[in-house]
Amino acid sequence: MKKLTIFLLAALVMLAGCSTPSGSDTPGDATATPSASAATIHVYTRDATSGTREAFEKAGDFAEQLTSSAIEVSSNGDMATKVGADANGIGYVSLSTDFAANGVKPLNFEGVEPSEATVLDGSYGMQRPFMFTTRAAGDYESTEKEELIAAFLDFMQNSTEGMLVVEKAGGVVDKTKGTAWAELAAKHPIVNQDNSSISIATSGSTSVEKTLKAALEAFQPMAGNFQFTMNQTGSGDGYKRVLGSEKDGANRADIGFASRAFKSGDEDTSAAMASGQYCIDAVVTIVNQANTSVSDLTQQQVHDIFTGTTTSWEEVK
Amino acid sequence: MEENLRDWIKPGQAIRKQKTDRAVRTLFFLAALISGSCIVLITFFILMKGIQPFLPNYAYGTVSLKDFLFGTLWRQDQGVYGVGFIVINTLISAFGALLLAFPISVLTALFIVKIAPKPIKPFMKTVVELLASIPSVVYGVFAAGVITTLVKTLAAYSGISTAGGSSLLAVILLLAIMIFPTITSLSITAIEAVDRDLELGSLALGATATQTHFKVVLTSAKSGIFAGAILGIGRAFGEATAVAMVAGNKLFGPTFNLFDITRTLTSTMLAGLKETTGLDYDIRFSVGLVLMAVILISNLVLNLIKKKVGNMN
Repeated sequence: MKKLTIFLLAALVMLAGCSTPSGSDTPGDATATPSASAATIHVYTRDATSGTREAFEKAGDFAEQLTSSAIEVSSNGDMATKVGADANGIGYVSLSTDFAANGVKPLNFEGVEPSEATVLDGSYGMQRPFMFTTRAAGDYESTEKEELIAAFLDFMQNSTEGMLVVEKAGGVVDKTKGTAWAELAAKHPIVNQDNSSISIATSGSTSVEKTLKAALEAFQPMAGNFQFTMNQTGSGDGYKRVLGSEKDGANRADIGFASRAFKSGDEDTSAAMASGQYCIDAVVTIVNQANTSVSDLTQQQVHDIFTGTTTSWEEVK
Repeated sequence: MEENLRDWIKPGQAIRKQKTDRAVRTLFFLAALISGSCIVLITFFILMKGIQPFLPNYAYGTVSLKDFLFGTLWRQDQGVYGVGFIVINTLISAFGALLLAFPISVLTALFIVKIAPKPIKPFMKTVVELLASIPSVVYGVFAAGVITTLVKTLAAYSGISTAGGSSLLAVILLLAIMIFPTITSLSITAIEAVDRDLELGSLALGATATQTHFKVVLTSAKSGIFAGAILGIGRAFGEATAVAMVAGNKLFGPTFNLFDITRTLTSTMLAGLKETTGLDYDIRFSVGLVLMAVILISNLVLNLIKKKVGNMN
């Protein structure tokens, strides 16, 4: 009994000991002036392997210089939720994110509002391409499969119908460059036969999942009801599983995707049957919806906030 | 001799029985061998992968073991991997959760076994068992939605601004809830096993029911209760998914402030695992090795305490 009491007391003392210095540890400005504008900025970031982070750090020109007090989140949705719950938070998500539903406000970049139009004309700087690459020509189980994949990629990348599907799923496409599928289909007689025995496997970036799935599902009834399996694990696996070290492994795939350009040298796609870009994804800086002190950031401001040079909202104004 | 045997016991049958017995024994031995070799295999594999970054001719550039073990910065983008502060953070969060959950669990178990009215008892037991079977990701979602809001409000009252509630305190609360059913279930079993005569003796000597519960029942059951604590802290150390959702994953440390964000060994191993290659991938095995060492040492220490406390009788 005495032992237990002592143990419990010790526990209480330890807990109290942990919490007492907390007040004095935090910077004085946070406690003294709780108004949103003067409060410390909480920088949110994705983990170092994220394609969105790569795109954002490149756009803000602060690769490897991110402030060490950043808070790491695990996914695009996690980022939106956490910034939406933190009045002093700042983070970044892809353009297709539902801002209002998560309680976050998208910020302009260099005076340009993030939208499909500004992304397409290139005036909005924070953007990244969605790329694909296939296995080498002739390196498929059957020629039918190879022809079907060529048809699908043509549909997704070049047809008006395919572009509409990708756009609906959140990708930014230039519809003025689209051709009607009826016209393109003439080049792909494979779509007229029953393909239900063929299964196309995809790999690579998780960011492309939404747009890719929409395109595959739309194309299925148009091309003899082929099957597909999507195994999206990350941009790094996109090249690896169709042309790289795992191309004949258990996770082999037919089409690999990356939410960034394939790295020249490491990921040489020249051997592929087809490779290219099928849409653009834009990265948007977000703050909490209750944050009224900022609506536009320059690249320098993004750089300063995310490297920790600027630490309070007052300085951003 | 012959007349002593019952007529249905024949020498041939006895030999056959012995043969079956031997076969079954071999089967059990094989099962034990397979499960045992799993541990050896896993340890061996993780060891092989985990020590690679520290070997002189490592493909991605040798990492200094000293910098890795005692480092206070974890920056994958800069290639800085210091696990020292993460070990301290992991210990703080796991033992913090144990401090919180242990008294509550033991008292709950005592209530369920000794004090609760008969109709409530099976109901309470089921509730504890249900809690134990909730998957960790569900706990994580709950923590991200409810515990963080609670911590945020709490911090706001004391004028501290938190990262939307993601903090060491949130991790401790989450882990305390997660290990509570483990400790409680084992405590229930331990308390139920206490000899009823001991209790009756204490009551006959004039002790009140409460005195008996604390001085006789809990004292007799403490070995089993400690086993529960050891299992519980094992879960606290090993939890990755739920913790990663509320820890905030700080890049440097250690974290002693309850309202500051933190980082644990498991959440470090998990973050971006699927998208990474090279050193950043291999180093996670090294972190795994450190985690295994931390768990092993903590268990040894707790077992020592258990022995000491157990010998007090």
